[in-house]
Amino acid sequence: MEEKNGATSKAGDWRSYERVLLPPVRDLHRLEVYEQNGGYEALREVLTSDKWDPTSVTNEVRNSGLRGRGGAGFLTGLKWTFMPPVDPNIPRFLCGNGDESEPGTFKDRQLMEFNPHLIFEGMLIASYAMSITTSYLYVRGEFADWISLMEVELAKAYEKGYVGKNVLGTDFSTDLVIHKGAGAYICGEESSLMISLEGERPYPRAKPPFPAQRGLWNYPTTINNVETLACVPLIINRGGEWFADLGSHRHPGPVLYGISGHVNRPGVYEYPTGMLITDLIYDVAKGMRGSKKLKAVVPGGSSTPILRADQIDGVTMDAETLRDAGSMMGTAGMLIMDEDTDIVSWLRRVTRFYHHESCGQCTPCREGTGWIENIVTRIDEGAGNLRDLDLLIDLCFQMEGRTVCALADAAAWPVRFTIERFRDEFEARCRPSLVPSGGVLTPALGP
Amino acid sequence: MPTVTIDNQEFEFEGNPILLQFCLDHDIELPHFCYHPAMSAPANCRQCLVEIGTPEIDRGTGEPRLDEDGNPVIRFFPKMMTGCSEDISDGMVVKTHRSSELVREAQKDNLEFLLINHPLDCPICDQAGNCPLQIQAYKYGPEGSRFEFRKVSKPKHIELGPRVVLDAERCINCTRCTRFTTEISESHQLTIIERSVWNYPMTPPGVDFDEPYSMNVIDICPVGALTSKDFRFKARVWEMSSTPSITIGNAKGSNCFYWVKDNLVQKVTPRTNMEVNEYWLPDEDRLDYDVFNENRPEGPTIAGQSASWDDAKTAAADLLKNVDANGIVFLGSAFACVEDNYLLGELASALGAAAPSYIQHIEPGAGDGWLITDDKTPNASGCERLGIRPLDATLLRSRIQGGDVKLLYVLQDDPVAAGICEAADLAGVSVILHHTNTTNETLVAANVALPAATVVETVGTFVNQDGHAQRVWPSKAIRGVNRTLSMEIGKSRADKHGTPFDRWFDEDHLVDCQPGWVVIPEIADLLDIELRFKGPRDIMLKVSSENEAFGGATYDAMAEPGVRLVDVGAEV
Ligand SMILES: Cc1cc2nc3c(=O)[nH]c(=O)nc-3n(C[C@H](O)[C@H](O)[C@H](O)COP(=O)(O)O)c2cc1C
Ligand code: SF4
Ligand code: SF4
Ligand code: FES
Repeated sequence: MEEKNGATSKAGDWRSYERVLLPPVRDLHRLEVYEQNGGYEALREVLTSDKWDPTSVTNEVRNSGLRGRGGAGFLTGLKWTFMPPVDPNIPRFLCGNGDESEPGTFKDRQLMEFNPHLIFEGMLIASYAMSITTSYLYVRGEFADWISLMEVELAKAYEKGYVGKNVLGTDFSTDLVIHKGAGAYICGEESSLMISLEGERPYPRAKPPFPAQRGLWNYPTTINNVETLACVPLIINRGGEWFADLGSHRHPGPVLYGISGHVNRPGVYEYPTGMLITDLIYDVAKGMRGSKKLKAVVPGGSSTPILRADQIDGVTMDAETLRDAGSMMGTAGMLIMDEDTDIVSWLRRVTRFYHHESCGQCTPCREGTGWIENIVTRIDEGAGNLRDLDLLIDLCFQMEGRTVCALADAAAWPVRFTIERFRDEFEARCRPSLVPSGGVLTPALGP
Repeated sequence: MPTVTIDNQEFEFEGNPILLQFCLDHDIELPHFCYHPAMSAPANCRQCLVEIGTPEIDRGTGEPRLDEDGNPVIRFFPKMMTGCSEDISDGMVVKTHRSSELVREAQKDNLEFLLINHPLDCPICDQAGNCPLQIQAYKYGPEGSRFEFRKVSKPKHIELGPRVVLDAERCINCTRCTRFTTEISESHQLTIIERSVWNYPMTPPGVDFDEPYSMNVIDICPVGALTSKDFRFKARVWEMSSTPSITIGNAKGSNCFYWVKDNLVQKVTPRTNMEVNEYWLPDEDRLDYDVFNENRPEGPTIAGQSASWDDAKTAAADLLKNVDANGIVFLGSAFACVEDNYLLGELASALGAAAPSYIQHIEPGAGDGWLITDDKTPNASGCERLGIRPLDATLLRSRIQGGDVKLLYVLQDDPVAAGICEAADLAGVSVILHHTNTTNETLVAANVALPAATVVETVGTFVNQDGHAQRVWPSKAIRGVNRTLSMEIGKSRADKHGTPFDRWFDEDHLVDCQPGWVVIPEIADLLDIELRFKGPRDIMLKVSSENEAFGGATYDAMAEPGVRLVDVGAEV
């Protein structure tokens, strides 16, 4: 809407926005209720109407401008076209990524709890679009309750003929399998997810080859976040144009904002993309707890660069604007911190997470995450030296872009940007030190 | 032909070479740890980072875009890439540490990371002196470390199985060992456990790492994390010489190095030969080296009494002289080299005796279709190609028992242990025996015993079951002087860690034995039989020119990789 001016929301008249991903319908997770509310109509239409074939479905998704909600914001329709041409002798797979483990991100969980059939329906339509005969829904193992719930609901969908052999009496057959993850953040990384599904130790694989070339069991595979997939039936029902017009036009559609931290009403909120961060904090989440002053916002999960309160004026939640502001959209899991927050302690907790979750495959990530945690802990405990700050930044550059997967980057960004943007607080915690980094150890003898 | 430019130097290439392998093949040393040519490339050590650019293609024309000077515009990847996971493509431009500061820094940074939790216990580590981590840290690593914390501690002594011990702190998590068990041996006995910096390889619960090829992981481990239970702490690498040779426990003739200190074989490791054993060696081939060190004879004997070599040879000649040729049985040996067997055959024929035969040592079902064979001898094929046939044991037994055999001449074998006859049956038979160990059960019946040089003490040729002829070099010295051996042992020291202080010429543990190609011609001489050669090299020149089954098998042609002989269709 008011896109010329970055200072205003791109979400239009968001106050009257009607939720589509998580509509306010009681017991929507139950198949009967889902059906009463237009559930599986998109699937039926795609399978039975002449208007649709796999190509036109993919095109509709492309035209909608849908971008992945798993963190990287990749164009979903474009990703689907990377699948090689259909060869009846070569199986093809789809994975729904519900491993949601990034700190500060808790929106996929809501979808799986309150609207699982929307995910199923999205996966089935995607399967049709890419001629996939088996799709896997990989769910974070800790979500045990919702896994049981979804299994019950999936069985009902099978019974009703929405999935399985000859879906809705057509000649399209496809299976959907719910897989319980074994509990590691790294399993959300796409290559790792596939290897975990195969039953191996989930070490991410170097890319290329990309999943569409060599995926599950080396067959062509597409991986999408579950929220991404849940958007697909909406696009079919309401049209790609409707979707493209919602929110920021380069990063459109409804999005689940997971707001946590020092706000009065933390939670998952569905609104169009392009919401002003300030609207989300002060309107949607009902302002700062105890009317404290805002100190910082981490806009898209713990790995996205932190923004100081003075950096968020007029910033909206979409990839381009956030990039210009010095951060990223990530998963739209927003951490809101007030003036009392100890930023050093916060960073310490974040570094602990990535140290613990590094799969340990690549040298820079395995060693760097631990070293960083050690240093940040020392600083937090008041035993750090000023030179530690430069060392930390160095270590971040030694990790970024030099590993198999992006976990190393995800671990390095918060460190680098938090120190950069809150350097005074770190310095205040450190002992001044004139000894240059490394100088305390005797260098090895030269040749 | 397509070309690639590496550090401003242009190379032509064929096919789809992996960048890292291509560099190594062209003497460009690109530091690396996890890559192994026989296995998949996980690109996890991140040591082989390089800058890579490819020609920019004009979308309209599909042709490379050119700059003002007419050179293709090169677009570099925004990140450094790992050489082990990148295929070379036409027009690719690569910058290694030799031309890129960025790459040099990345290598240094990575080594700094690798060393922060490494125990740095090189002074007590078996790998020290021959350790890729040590070497690369020295050449490409940072000076000192900025790490000021306690290192992660992990188990220091895990017996993964009966033969392999893990020091988890030294492990750099390259996954070569686990990939070996999944991709090469397919035993699936190792996996990585834990995560992050606490990672290390382990067997699954209740599983022992006891597969027949387990010790290969010791060789491919780029640090001293995996050590041999047998060899641990026995010798430093610079105290030993290593000699290219072959193993003799079976008919595969796997290529190996014998590591010697103080004239004792300390360990056996694989030597790469893509035509024979590739990079690998079964555990049993590595652990049977005691036969070279223990129960070795102390010089020749006559009727069980120590004798000089001259007297023993004379005694042997006298025995041969005084027996009718029909009463002499010559036993060749699938344990002995082609040269020795050839000379024995010549001696038998000069004496008018029947051609030698050899005792087969076959354990049906022992083989695995890979590097372990049913045949437990190294040279049955060599014997066959010389026309030496397997012995008819029953016939010989009845001939001995019938008093038909007057003299039994045995080259490196043990008819008693092989069950052909009892030692007592030989009471009326004159026995001349070339034996390698005093455990030889025929020894008690030997009138003349002539200690034989083993594969680690001789020069000779062996033919494996696939018809691959390979020569060996002496890995250690024997007592006494032999010009050929002295010359060849000099050549054998292709040893990378040699210093003038190596111990292989010490007097200790020298065995008083002699190669067949020394002893047999001298006995022939005493019988006025002309069987003189300048040495084994000349024997093979003759054999390879006269006998089609050995065509091409000269010492010069065999060198280290060996020569594939013509198929004679009668391989054992
Ligand atoms: C360390 C790491 C963890 C990830 N975890 C998740 C996750 O839990 N859920 C998810 O949807 N994507 C996760 N991703 C992103 C996926 O690799 C992948 O990009 C995404 O599932 C693609 O879906 P989309 O295109 O729909 O966003 C992770 C990536 C990395 C590097
Ligand atoms: S970057 Fe970290 S998490 Fe990703 S593969 Fe490497 S070690 Fe594992
Ligand atoms: S034990 Fe050795 S081979 Fe195995 S992962 Fe560790 S460093 Fe690599
Ligand atoms: S050798 Fe290339 S990453 Fe290890």
